[in-house]
Amino acid sequence: MSESEQNQLFKAWISQYKALIFKVVRAYAAEPMDQDDLFQEISIQVWHSIPAFQQQSANTTWIYRIALNTALKWRGNERKHVAAHESLDNVQAILQATPIQIDERLAWLYEEIYKLDDIDRSITLLLLDGFSYKEMATIVGMSESNVGVKINRIKKQLITKSKQQTYHGI
Amino acid sequence: MEFDELQKIWDSQTKEPLWAINETALHNRISAKKQQASHITNVSELILFVVNLGAAAFMIGLNFIKSDAGNLWLYLMAAWMIGTAVYVLVNRLRRLNGSHTFDRSLLGELRYAVSLATYQVRLSQLMRWNIVPIVLLSMLGVWKGEQSIGIVLAIGLFFILIYFASRWEHGIYTSRKRELEALQNKLEKGI
Repeated sequence: MSESEQNQLFKAWISQYKALIFKVVRAYAAEPMDQDDLFQEISIQVWHSIPAFQQQSANTTWIYRIALNTALKWRGNERKHVAAHESLDNVQAILQATPIQIDERLAWLYEEIYKLDDIDRSITLLLLDGFSYKEMATIVGMSESNVGVKINRIKKQLITKSKQQTYHGI
Repeated sequence: MEFDELQKIWDSQTKEPLWAINETALHNRISAKKQQASHITNVSELILFVVNLGAAAFMIGLNFIKSDAGNLWLYLMAAWMIGTAVYVLVNRLRRLNGSHTFDRSLLGELRYAVSLATYQVRLSQLMRWNIVPIVLLSMLGVWKGEQSIGIVLAIGLFFILIYFASRWEHGIYTSRKRELEALQNKLEKGI
């Protein structure tokens, strides 16, 4: 695959699957600069992954896997160290807020996902995006039964928290 | 709220992108970063490889040329340095072979990240202990050259600084490795 073909496919993927990547970014990074940095990291890994993609899995599964793998290993404090050595041109913001008003219930849900540990965050995102237990087990590398146990616990936790939240007025 | 309701909120709200992407900035960053990441590792590995191999070759050569040839310690030192260079080379090849595999699960990716972190920890440990023979040889050289006490102290201070810098670097790699191992354990045990 030539570099121009790789670039072309990368642009198409980013355009088509940006909402998916944004969900991972939002779940793993809280601050705007961290979100920007994580988005870059995921984009770089997606770009690198294109020659290895052999269409044995759906595009969404492939991109989700790369995004989650990157997010799991990403650390916000690394960004601060790197940014200190870069020119202002290079740290230009990549993500620009859109005028969309975010539903406060969704904002709350993201907040609760962010409070979960790294592994549970991945499973929650996959669960909410409708992946089957089998697909989740493959992406995460756990047995289906362990995925099931985790999902039950996450669901209970989120339901309990949502009830407390409703009680407090949202 | 039941989980189905949370699911509905998620489905209805997450299809709209939260942000717009500045494509030019993204393109620039990707071009810069994809070169930068590999560049840093490549240069540090290259330096370690060339310095160790070069110093080993120099010591072996010196041992042959000098009249008091056959110094066993210098041969051992050269062997140690060649071993270090080979270790760096083998692990570099391993790193490059594994770096473009993208079909790993989260657990597979963590195992790979842990193996890389282990390599970094070992390498930084090795580099720290490499200071010891280098200090000894340098001090012997200074002693033979009958240098002033000021120079001896300056060299000693220099090596102390290097030791603390490498200990600090080693600490970073070790704590990163522990974080990754904790995640790996969590996934493996399914807790």
